[in-house]
Amino acid sequence: MSKKILVIEDEIYLQNTLSEFLENEKFVVAKALDGEKGLEMAKSEKPDLILLDIVLPKKNGYEVLDEIKKDEKTKNIPVILLTNLESPEDIEKAFEKGASTYLVKSNYKLEDIVEKIKETLKDK
Amino acid sequence: MFNDLNIKRQAEELGVSVWRAPSFLFLVMGVIIIFAMTAIYYFSKKYDSPEVVVIAESLVVSIIFIIGNSIIKLMDQMAKLNKMKTEFISVASHQLRTPLTAIKWETELLLSKSKDLPAKPRGGIENINILSTRMNDLVNDLLNVARIDQKILILEKETVDLGKITENSIKNFLFLAGKKGIEIEFQKNPSLPEFISDREKLKTIVENLLSNSLKYTPDKGKIVIKIENDEQEIIFSIRDNGVGIPSNQQAQIFTKFFRSDNAVKYQTGGTGLGLFIAKEIINKMNGKIWFESEENKGTIFTFSLPITN
Repeated sequence: MSKKILVIEDEIYLQNTLSEFLENEKFVVAKALDGEKGLEMAKSEKPDLILLDIVLPKKNGYEVLDEIKKDEKTKNIPVILLTNLESPEDIEKAFEKGASTYLVKSNYKLEDIVEKIKETLKDK
Repeated sequence: MFNDLNIKRQAEELGVSVWRAPSFLFLVMGVIIIFAMTAIYYFSKKYDSPEVVVIAESLVVSIIFIIGNSIIKLMDQMAKLNKMKTEFISVASHQLRTPLTAIKWETELLLSKSKDLPAKPRGGIENINILSTRMNDLVNDLLNVARIDQKILILEKETVDLGKITENSIKNFLFLAGKKGIEIEFQKNPSLPEFISDREKLKTIVENLLSNSLKYTPDKGKIVIKIENDEQEIIFSIRDNGVGIPSNQQAQIFTKFFRSDNAVKYQTGGTGLGLFIAKEIINKMNGKIWFESEENKGTIFTFSLPITN
């Protein structure tokens, strides 16, 4: 069965491209354009994996990650942070809060992101 | 001497006249001190009166304080300018990244959907892909330099396999190599050990060296990458039969923004940052980087890193 990915990304162009690529790779995609909506969908959509940006309106990625990991229903969903921030503090903070992987958007090709998603789903 | 002290450059950078450049003021201060000491010595001999000596001394100290104060102020201004520059680079690069990523991904998506497209339009899309990747590399270079300047280049500690990193980097450049008909040969010790280092930074070093070799090797050339190791260290080398580095410019090759004459002639694109960044990172990893080169024959760059577990 197709795996469901929730993409929480506020930049509409990135959101659309990434989602389309994932759909072509036979994933089912749910989209959220801000942190609050993302959190809501993490609960309602029950995705197999979440791609999460850090700089987001309404709730930032760290807050979303915190709440996902606190909730019994969502805490086992692997979360891949996908952002253009890359300071060591950001990376450390993400892993402390329970992120499975941390990817810097501009350094990853779409196919490499899919590769990371598959790896993470396998380890789940 | 004017050149050695960078007086002119300082004055230009700070937007002040030459006689107000810190180095010049420092020079003046030195001259005053020497002159004053001689004068005080002379007066103390001639008048044999401690008052005169004290007055002369206070006068000299005041002048030195005044000049010293201007030097400090100018130095402060210099530091501020430098900080502003670094912050600017860092903000600009971060802001550039989002639209750049969008272009890159959009192109990749387009390529993935256009496998049946005729060669010409597909070639065009492939070119956009290469160029946006290049732009991304430039932004990364600028960010790295800003971090080096701000002394906030921090190394991650993770288990890395330099062989795998190199293989992936070669993959990223295969298309470009194919276009120039350049063959890339990769040899490595089959039992290459993993060690603790920073994966992304190693990738940056390997890709900077590889990108240089590709850039400065003529069509149908050959690049050989070798990774060997002993108990203590891993040794990576990359040899090309490219344009080489002129012997009179070899000493400057790791300097920030430096590009050799023949490099500029051969390839106008390039920032002169790749080798500077590579060396800074390798130094920080307690490793070494060096090269041998002969003009029009080729270059071999080698770096060694200690194996840490």
